[in-house]
Amino acid sequence: MPEVKSMFREVLPKQGQLSMEDVPAMVLCKPKLLPLKSVTLEKLEKMQQDAQEIIKQQELALKEQQQTEKAE
Amino acid sequence: MEVSVSMDPLFLAWSCCRRRQLQRSADICSKILSESPFDQESGGAQVSEAAWSLKTRALTEMVFVDEVEVDQEGIAEMMLDESSIAQVARPGTSLRLLGTSQGGAPTPAVRPMTQSGRPVTGFVRPSTLTGRPETMEQAIRTPRTASSARPGTSASGRLVRLGTASMLTHPDGPFINLSRINLAKYAKRPNMAKTLFEYIFLHENDVKNALELAAVATEHAQFRDWWWKVQLGKCYYRLGLLREAEKQFRSALAQQEFVDSYLYLAKVYQRLDQPITALNVFKQGLDHFPTEVTLLTGIARIHEEMNNVISATEYYREVLKQDNTHVEAIACIGSNHFYTDQPEIALRFYRRLLQMGVFNCQLYNNLGLCCFYAQQYDMTLSSFERALALASSDEEQADVWYNLGHVAVGIGDLTLAYQCFKLALAFNNNHGEAYNNLAVLELRKGRIEQAKAFLQTAAALSPHMYEPHFNFATLSEKVGDLQSSFTAAQRSEDAFPEHVDTQQILKNLRLHFATL
Repeated sequence: MPEVKSMFREVLPKQGQLSMEDVPAMVLCKPKLLPLKSVTLEKLEKMQQDAQEIIKQQELALKEQQQTEKAE
Repeated sequence: MEVSVSMDPLFLAWSCCRRRQLQRSADICSKILSESPFDQESGGAQVSEAAWSLKTRALTEMVFVDEVEVDQEGIAEMMLDESSIAQVARPGTSLRLLGTSQGGAPTPAVRPMTQSGRPVTGFVRPSTLTGRPETMEQAIRTPRTASSARPGTSASGRLVRLGTASMLTHPDGPFINLSRINLAKYAKRPNMAKTLFEYIFLHENDVKNALELAAVATEHAQFRDWWWKVQLGKCYYRLGLLREAEKQFRSALAQQEFVDSYLYLAKVYQRLDQPITALNVFKQGLDHFPTEVTLLTGIARIHEEMNNVISATEYYREVLKQDNTHVEAIACIGSNHFYTDQPEIALRFYRRLLQMGVFNCQLYNNLGLCCFYAQQYDMTLSSFERALALASSDEEQADVWYNLGHVAVGIGDLTLAYQCFKLALAFNNNHGEAYNNLAVLELRKGRIEQAKAFLQTAAALSPHMYEPHFNFATLSEKVGDLQSSFTAAQRSEDAFPEHVDTQQILKNLRLHFATL
């Protein structure tokens, strides 16, 4: 192996210009900090969810009622 | 069982209301009222009168939201705007123009955008959800994604839906039948009229009747009661009669200096898209109420919405000097530090929030990100685990997985990153950022067609982001499709004019086309 080492020696230029090509790379979207929710917003969302739950339950009850009526 | 001790039921109801056992309070009141009904016409005994008033209060308290905070602008208000005087506002005088960042705010290259195309903030209020699209087409297209749903008009928004829902819950009809009520009679009795007004306004969401009651009541008070004027202003604001609302608030302020009136007045100006006037109103308010936290927060919010993050942070700091547990201020300063390359300091702000008892998915997600970028690797994954455990909706879940994907990219585990972004998409199929990042990963694997498809999806889902356009331009240029590269680069330039790499691509392509 020592022969190989002697064959390829690193070259570190001490003077002269160093040039680098700037290749446009793909960009990732950035990490997203999640915004905290204000109390009002949380309350609004909770009320909306509750209301939707209630409506769902009422609709279910209505459906069941209709089905039992049909069965009769 | 409950009322075994013979306590006066009215007193019990009042005590329940004070201890915020509102449903119980309302139930007891209903019982009192069923025993001795309160006749709306003749006016019954004092006990039933009190019970009636208390029940309206309890029902109102259940659905109470701070009117200063609530604001949802519908598509109709936004597009059919009568109060604007010019097509394009001068820079720095409008909330609608995103404008170039003033005073060294982070560019889109570091700070991501929300669905509505605004830089993300540390805190979200009902009104921050709405960005302002420029065209009707965009306005209608944006709400397709779940997180930015927008009502047709503010009159058909969330509040009205809540109002109808509250009526549905009573099998035997609403508590007060508004169409049969004699408003003039109540207006003469200020102590009952005020609770009745709040009930109509907040619980029933019947702005027209509320307005009528307020109008009669203020007349009865010979226009000397500032409270009624503020309520009139609130009604006008809800109905979109902004100039009338402004008049009422100004008149109320002339009579009685009050912080709320300043806040409402500033809100009117913000809706009229006159942020400078709104700032002046806040400053007038500060003259009378120096170092008032809500006024300072209002100023900071306007600066933030106008993308002037530095002065916004200054005002938030001022807020923290007065109230060092102000969640909004801490969160906004924290996120600002994160996006100006100081995750360690951001971490301290978020840790402070944790100490104060804020305990939710968003906070743990932010802590995880800050820990990772501040090289505190031991805490990163456990924070994200907690965030996932606390996530209450699919959108939140998706965002946490998306950020975990970034951690995976950071440690070089691209398989994990791929899986994370895929999971983000499984939870929220409208996550444009995740599509873009997946495309970049696909391209690293050499699957060009797949990457292209993902980029196109990302661009369609969130046209306000420059990343998918830019990536598409780069990719198309590589494979030799110069025409689509050019159009994509132009779109990228629209989204982020200062982006150097986009400019470079455009320059190269123009040179190329010129030589042809």
